[in-house]
Amino acid sequence: MRAVLVKTLADLRRRRLQAAVIFLTVLFAMAAGTTAVTLMSQTRDPYQIAFDKQRGAHLQVAFNATTDRQLMSNTPALIGASASGGPYPASNIQFRFGDRKFYVDAVGRDNPGGAVEVLSITSGRWPLANDEIVLTRSFSELNRISVGDRLKVTSVAQTPSLTVVGEVVDIDEGSADLSSQRAWMLPAALPALSTPDSSFYLMDYRFPTDPTSAQLQSSLDRLKTSLPAGSVAGSLNYLLIRSIFNITNQILTGVLVAFSVFALAATIAIVATLVTGIVISAYREIGIMRAIGFTPYQVVEVFALQIVIPALAACLVGVTAGTLASQPLLANSSHALGLAYTPTFSIGLDVLFLFGGLLVVAVAATVPALRAAQLKPIVAITKASAPRGAGGRLLRQGAARLRLPRPVVLGIGDAFARPLRAILTLVTVLLGVATIVVAVGLPRSFELINNSETGAGNYQVIVTRTSAYPDSEVMRLLNAQPQTARVVAVGGQNVIVPGVGDPVNTHLFRGDSSRLGYMVVAGRWYSAPGEVVAPAALIRDAHLKIGDSFTGTANGQPLQLRLVGETYDINNLGHSLFMDISTMASVTPAVEPFLYDITLTHGSDVSSYVRRVATAQPDLLDVRASDTSLIAPVKIIDLVLLILAGVLGLIGVGGVFNTLLLNTRERIRDTATLKSLGMSPRQVVVMVGASAGLLALVGGLAAMPLGLTLHHLLNDAISGSAGNDTPPAAYGVFAAWELTAIPLAGVVVAIAAAMIPGRWAARSNVVEVLHAE
Amino acid sequence: MKELVRLTDVTKVYQGGITGALNGVSLAVEKGEFTAIMGPSGSGKSTMLNLVAGLDRPTSGSVSVSGTDLGKLGETGLARFRRDHIGFVFQFFYLLPNLTALENVLIPAQLKGDGSTDRGRELLEKLGIADVADRYPARLSGGQQQRVAVARALINNPTLLLADEPTGALDTHTGEQVMELLGDLHREGQTILLVTHDAKLATRHAARVISVMDGKIVDDARLASPERAPSEVIRMRSEEKLR
Ligand SMILES: Nc1ncnc2c1ncn2[C@@H]1O[C@H](COP(=O)(O)OP(=O)(O)OP(=O)(O)O)[C@@H](O)[C@H]1O
Ligand SMILES: [Mg+2]
Repeated sequence: MRAVLVKTLADLRRRRLQAAVIFLTVLFAMAAGTTAVTLMSQTRDPYQIAFDKQRGAHLQVAFNATTDRQLMSNTPALIGASASGGPYPASNIQFRFGDRKFYVDAVGRDNPGGAVEVLSITSGRWPLANDEIVLTRSFSELNRISVGDRLKVTSVAQTPSLTVVGEVVDIDEGSADLSSQRAWMLPAALPALSTPDSSFYLMDYRFPTDPTSAQLQSSLDRLKTSLPAGSVAGSLNYLLIRSIFNITNQILTGVLVAFSVFALAATIAIVATLVTGIVISAYREIGIMRAIGFTPYQVVEVFALQIVIPALAACLVGVTAGTLASQPLLANSSHALGLAYTPTFSIGLDVLFLFGGLLVVAVAATVPALRAAQLKPIVAITKASAPRGAGGRLLRQGAARLRLPRPVVLGIGDAFARPLRAILTLVTVLLGVATIVVAVGLPRSFELINNSETGAGNYQVIVTRTSAYPDSEVMRLLNAQPQTARVVAVGGQNVIVPGVGDPVNTHLFRGDSSRLGYMVVAGRWYSAPGEVVAPAALIRDAHLKIGDSFTGTANGQPLQLRLVGETYDINNLGHSLFMDISTMASVTPAVEPFLYDITLTHGSDVSSYVRRVATAQPDLLDVRASDTSLIAPVKIIDLVLLILAGVLGLIGVGGVFNTLLLNTRERIRDTATLKSLGMSPRQVVVMVGASAGLLALVGGLAAMPLGLTLHHLLNDAISGSAGNDTPPAAYGVFAAWELTAIPLAGVVVAIAAAMIPGRWAARSNVVEVLHAE
Repeated sequence: MKELVRLTDVTKVYQGGITGALNGVSLAVEKGEFTAIMGPSGSGKSTMLNLVAGLDRPTSGSVSVSGTDLGKLGETGLARFRRDHIGFVFQFFYLLPNLTALENVLIPAQLKGDGSTDRGRELLEKLGIADVADRYPARLSGGQQQRVAVARALINNPTLLLADEPTGALDTHTGEQVMELLGDLHREGQTILLVTHDAKLATRHAARVISVMDGKIVDDARLASPERAPSEVIRMRSEEKLR
């Protein structure tokens, strides 16, 4: 054993560069993998912990403001809930802070405790007076409102002022960047802030055990049938909220898992290449080792240990780095859940991952090393190195026919002289370039979708009116502005769609809605009254196909609708409808638009337009420039993708570098011969560079379809998790020149990496090399 | 006659070497000469040849070939110089294993950017190995491999042909054939510098025999006619060493 260690350490010293390549690739693979695994093991738990701790509601139901209180208090028993909260009076209010306006659902509640939906106060206190309000921390942080700030309620004529006295974390709603938010006041404060069409009741239910989606649905059905028609205005369940909370981390883990598998595969390829290379070039050494008494098994050990030792170091550092890297993400989600952040990791899991990674590397190293054990000592001693195959001959002949300079032709032939090594190298390049393709494409797809959701490039200003300011006045005001090019007015109405549990949030447009930038995934945008478009989740849940007609119900009145197209909309996870406002003409009371998407004439100054319109009606209108910036989760995913692309790109470069190092070392005698025949140092470098360039080119070209497919699949998975199908435009985010430029950039990088072994070969002393033979 | 090679007071100490491999060697070789360098193992013969080829640089002293001072050339300059002026034949052939015989022969021309194959085929024809032009070295006999190496050395019409024990790895008969070939080339006007152990072979073909010992030239004999007995001193000393 001692002999094995001594020999291994001596070899490691001699092969420092290879050890460094192994160390770095294993490090990256392990760090990415550990991040993924740590996230995966933790993301499910924090929500559950917070949900249990804050006694979250499994089901929340909004009741019509006219519903009888007594009937509502009977509902928990009716559906078998073990605990309940409410009915709380609630009202959708608008308030102004600075020059911005916000909507929240104000809920009347005496205290933050109770049997269900405990609100954990993170700063300040609970309201004590009617002019005090508590906001969610998520909302406060997003909009930079703090305790002590004063808000002016603009949705009622008296425009009372409220003071923010506290911030809470509410486990029963999503974060402010993804969902609308609640705020809490004393119940006595609510009547003054309510209008008939803005108020409702809210009830929380908790069941003895966590109910399934079907159980929740049947509870909801029982509520609907036992109460007067129209009493249930809407509902929200914990499964949906949990998925909103987890969506970012789920996407992140998915991406991380996929790419750490890539990283590991690339590492295996590099390790196998390296060990095969060492064995091939050390035939004589193996023979001598055998001759002086190493057993075949010990020879294998020496070769495998040379890999396992740097890999062990890399695993230790990588697992630690990965665990650390996952902490900000975990801290982020525990913060959102109102949990105190405590470093979350599992030593057991880390150790498991460490040894798992090490085992994979050890196997990848041992299998090719077995070849060394099979060598007969005498053959090994006399052969010096393994015979080279005929690989690369055809390529070289092809290159010669193209009349490429001789050093290039020789280099091209060398690239594939050992086909297995070439293939393993191609695998590392393939995975690296494919990841880069995804990292370039996915953020663009996100941006495209974000632009469509925020109207970027289609409208610049959004105006929201309060009911005190009529639609006709708004239109007059907007049309009086010379910079107004187009106004699309938007109204909302809940429509009951057969087969879909909750009433469906419906967008009603007046004006040319086809120019708001909504993406058509299939079929077409609506063009006539009665025609609707919807995202995938609604279409699926309602069992509809494009072209189908169905009868919806709005305000208890039937509505003849025909689905003409599928659109993309992540709000309510794909449960919404889009139609012209005239489709609602038959429904009473008439729906009036409350929101206006305004397109300005070319070259208008958006902020001065916003200022001008806002000053016209400071209280009754909310005027803002459309915010087209990406939401935080998307930014995080983009960043993680960028890092992964960097890591896999580097591993790919490492693969090429490693192979060239082996190739040039093995072929140093040939290179010395060529130099003795008059090959100049520059020609040597060109020869090695040509090898690298070819490997990168072939790998890069093969990576394009893989990268594009992966980009396609990830788009589908991410859209799917938000209840949508991917819009075709989100697939086609690559310009034709980029599809060529990406592999070419890979070639340039590979050639640059080849400069190190290339120059080493160019500088080698002919006499010494040939003398050493 | 015109002087082609001049070594002036050349010494060479290898890294880690205690004594010099060459210790003050001065030598001139004229165009058209067939010179043999002889001496016991480790006496510095190969070192001398390598310096003339510009494969290595002397520790002190100067080497010039065809009026070019090799010390003034950079690595690229030396490569170009070898390409244009030197043909080198090694003891162990050093053919590139993944190229065919013809491809091996053509390499030096192609490194210069000359893509024609005519001269390569002509040379193979002349050396009697045209039939193996498309074979890979692994499928050639030692003699055939050395002929390919000679053809490769000649492809660029070198001013100087250097051969370091070209027969060392061949059996006697094949070795003699290769030497015949060098003799023929000499008769056609080729300047040749040959390193050999074999006194018989040296004296049969070369007109000048330089004896080297411990990095010094100890004898420089111009033979009036070939077949003259080699220097007694050398034979005695080398036998001494062998013992
Ligand atoms: N690259 C090198 N590094 C260190 N020492 C060297 C190197 N090449 C040769 N030597 C040493 O220099 C001396 C002269 O070597 P050289 O190869 O010139 O001898 P030679 O006369 O060609 O011998 P042989 O007949 O065995 O080929 C020897 O002592 C040798 O060990
Ligand atoms: Mg020698």
